[in-house]
Amino acid sequence: MVLVVLDHDGNKLRKGSLEALTRAWRLAEGLGEKVAGVLLAEEGAPLEEARKYVDILYTATLGPYTAEKWAAAVLEAAKMGAKAVVAPSSRQSRTYLGRVAYALKAGLLEDTLDSSLEGSEVHATRYAYLNRVTQRVKAALPVVLTVKTNTTPLAEPLEASAEVVPLAVPEVPTVEVLDRVAEEKKGVSLTEANVVVTGGRGMGSAEAFKGAEELAALLGGAVGATRAVVDAGWRPYGEQVGQTGKTVQPALYIALGVSGAVQHLAGMNKSKYIVAVNKDPEAPIYKHTDYGIVGDVHQVLPALIQAVKKLKD
Amino acid sequence: MPIDFSLTEEQKQLQALARRFAREVIMPVAREYDEKEEVPWPIIERLHEVGLLNAIIPEEYGGMGLKMLDEVIVGEELAYACMGIYTIPMASDLGITPVLLAGNHEQKERFLRPLTEKPALAAFALSEPGNGSDAAALKTRAVRQGDYYVLNGTKMWISNGGEAEWVVVFATLNPELRHKGVVALVVEKGTPGFQAVKIHGKLGQRASGTYELVFEDVKVPVENRLGEEGEGFKIAMQTLNKTRIPVAAGSVGVARRALDEARKYAKEREAFGRPIAEFQAIQFKLADMLMGIETARMYTYYAAWLADQGLPHAHASAIAKAYASEMAFEAANQAIQIHGGYGYVREFPVEKLLRDVKLNQIYEGTNEIQRLIIARHVLAE
Amino acid sequence: MKFVAVIRQVPDGESRLRIQGGKVDLSGATLILDQMDEYAVEEALRLKEKHGGEAVVVGFGPERAEEAIRTALAMGMDRGVHVVFEGFADPVAVAEALVPVLKEEAPTLVLTGGQQADWDSQALGAALAEGLGVPVVAWTTAIELEGDTAKAKHDLDEGAEWVRVRLPALFTTQQGLNEPRYPTLPGIMKAKKKEIRKVQAEVRASVELLSEEIQEKQRLGRILDGKDPVAAAEELVRLLHEEAKVI
Repeated sequence: MVLVVLDHDGNKLRKGSLEALTRAWRLAEGLGEKVAGVLLAEEGAPLEEARKYVDILYTATLGPYTAEKWAAAVLEAAKMGAKAVVAPSSRQSRTYLGRVAYALKAGLLEDTLDSSLEGSEVHATRYAYLNRVTQRVKAALPVVLTVKTNTTPLAEPLEASAEVVPLAVPEVPTVEVLDRVAEEKKGVSLTEANVVVTGGRGMGSAEAFKGAEELAALLGGAVGATRAVVDAGWRPYGEQVGQTGKTVQPALYIALGVSGAVQHLAGMNKSKYIVAVNKDPEAPIYKHTDYGIVGDVHQVLPALIQAVKKLKD
Repeated sequence: MPIDFSLTEEQKQLQALARRFAREVIMPVAREYDEKEEVPWPIIERLHEVGLLNAIIPEEYGGMGLKMLDEVIVGEELAYACMGIYTIPMASDLGITPVLLAGNHEQKERFLRPLTEKPALAAFALSEPGNGSDAAALKTRAVRQGDYYVLNGTKMWISNGGEAEWVVVFATLNPELRHKGVVALVVEKGTPGFQAVKIHGKLGQRASGTYELVFEDVKVPVENRLGEEGEGFKIAMQTLNKTRIPVAAGSVGVARRALDEARKYAKEREAFGRPIAEFQAIQFKLADMLMGIETARMYTYYAAWLADQGLPHAHASAIAKAYASEMAFEAANQAIQIHGGYGYVREFPVEKLLRDVKLNQIYEGTNEIQRLIIARHVLAE
Repeated sequence: MKFVAVIRQVPDGESRLRIQGGKVDLSGATLILDQMDEYAVEEALRLKEKHGGEAVVVGFGPERAEEAIRTALAMGMDRGVHVVFEGFADPVAVAEALVPVLKEEAPTLVLTGGQQADWDSQALGAALAEGLGVPVVAWTTAIELEGDTAKAKHDLDEGAEWVRVRLPALFTTQQGLNEPRYPTLPGIMKAKKKEIRKVQAEVRASVELLSEEIQEKQRLGRILDGKDPVAAAEELVRLLHEEAKVI
């Protein structure tokens, strides 16, 4: 069978899970096999919703997430004859599935844009070299496949609800979770936002970001930051966009006072439209810009806010 | 197979370190220091932290014992980011070299070791307001009085003069003896009567501090004399024979930067429907730049090799210094030309290259003096 | 105590990449110690400086990757092991090749970068941990040793957490954990004399690379002069609304 790991927020399946389901169904249909889901919870999980998307649903409640517990649970489900394990990409899933791929001696196809069955092999497309290169890769079954968000249509629910089978997950040596530090959720999530307004070192100070916040709020988006800004302590690490931060793919990415270092570009160069404001006409960002203004951010940003307000009226 | 054009593993690592330092530490702030005409102490401190400052001091005295070829590799990389900032460690080496050439063991220990223990600079003072090329006509006067020399006079255009822990000052004991009357004295910072006045308004290399040094009855202990009385001029000339070579390396770095900026611009700028890099006029300029860079670099390596081998290198270093500075000036000039109007404004990096590298034709012996040295060598055969 | 950093050599992010024969050609690129792995090396050095013991760098890759191991030695690692393999090997295959070498070293703690700059993969650390039979703490931002356990802070998908783990364990590293030191000139000199043990790798690749292409999206490049910021801003907003239709 093809096993799908279903990611959720306790109440609802996440969008990525529905994309992973589509990929899993495609593989399963090609192989003439069933699709099994594995629904792992710290406490609660959307059981009834999950049952609608698979032929059989394996479940387990495991307490606080650790990579070892999640890997052990997935392996337990995979023992039931999984030829492929499919999951939405996230830092957590890419960690525990790294363990799973090693344990199964499976071909690991990470953060894929698409995937298809060719005989007894899975072919996939993914990015490499800091998002600058598109790779075609393939692996023989068994395969572990993670699915990049916003690449695949969402699965439709089936007519019947699946049978639920609780898993007996073995105890494994793992970490002891001491203390969770919740990320301050300011409005829209950076990775899901349709508009991202990022400030770079050219913003000059933490105070200047109030303007970025205002512009983001007006456009219904999220605020991002470059590594330099996070290093300077002006914005939290959770807002960092780049190789060592988050990768985003919004419809509109506005870069204010951002020079355009490759490590930052890696985190946003797949955005639909990129806008840049910088006083240095030589800044590398302009090579990757759809619309830009060469000027002083401190003057342009308030003008942009006014112009957007006027548009809304 | 005696000739080998490849770098050793350590030289490659040294080059990688200098290149990374230039890119991460110097490039982001070079323009700011140039605009403010301010000496970048944070960079001097980082140079010391990574072991690149005063690195020619031998291991025996706490230094890294870098050879001239290693210096040249580092110099090109640092100057790529900013020639003005590179002049700071380069001029410190200029001050250190007379001590290496003519100091006794006790002097080397006393003067050199402290420069390895913390970020600190040395300086070399030969030129005066009234004489540069005519070095033997120097007027700064040293008079022996018991255990001291009393120093009176003014030195001009001294790099690091106001920042240095000590300055090697060339003075005359008897002007009538011309070059045979010169003595080399190490004058320590803070010695009463010794004042350094910063020169403002330089065209380029503005991050490097250039000073007028004034000596009014400055008492310098006899223990601070390098070599014997009357040997000072020879020490100065032998020093400059060596220290011209890093200047050539710096010129190569600036020229390489000019080429990289010009290449980048030419590929993007469009005229008549295509990138200007497709036009022969531009291509010829780029080719000329590369011709100059490659030949200057190879010759600079050769001059450095001669120096490291202990072979005569006076005319070779003169060729390297004169040729590299002239080809670099032309490279910067053409880089501005390729940029058109944008080359003429401060927001683009190329105008600074011209302003900076012009000085390479003047200091450490003007290119006219270099030609005299080379001609002397030609006519000696 | 023994602190092991697992590293690889990758192209410098600023390098121009070329495609030759349908695959990325690295022959013109500047190759460096992966920046993510630098945090691992730095942490191994700090742990050794604080707690004593040995700091060992283990590198995987072709012969030329030795330069990256030398860089780590120049940063201060005590000795190196180079697991040599020319050619493409996926992270799980790399982990399989490294596990016997790491088991032989019997480390207190293993560190490696959270993501690789060539394959954009996050799997190596986790796969190594599975092979070694130890827990993995991914995306670590702080580590404190406490005898035979360690306390660490690391990122989750949402937020971060503090954990305690029995050693040996594996940590993947990222920005925020530390500030990597430069390989200084004295370090480069000392590294000359440090040992690098070579091991020929047994590699069983489980993913095959079919082709690669550079696809940099062609951007419109419509740049406006901001001398009159109000006019420029209004024009920009008009373009985004009417042309791009994105606001």
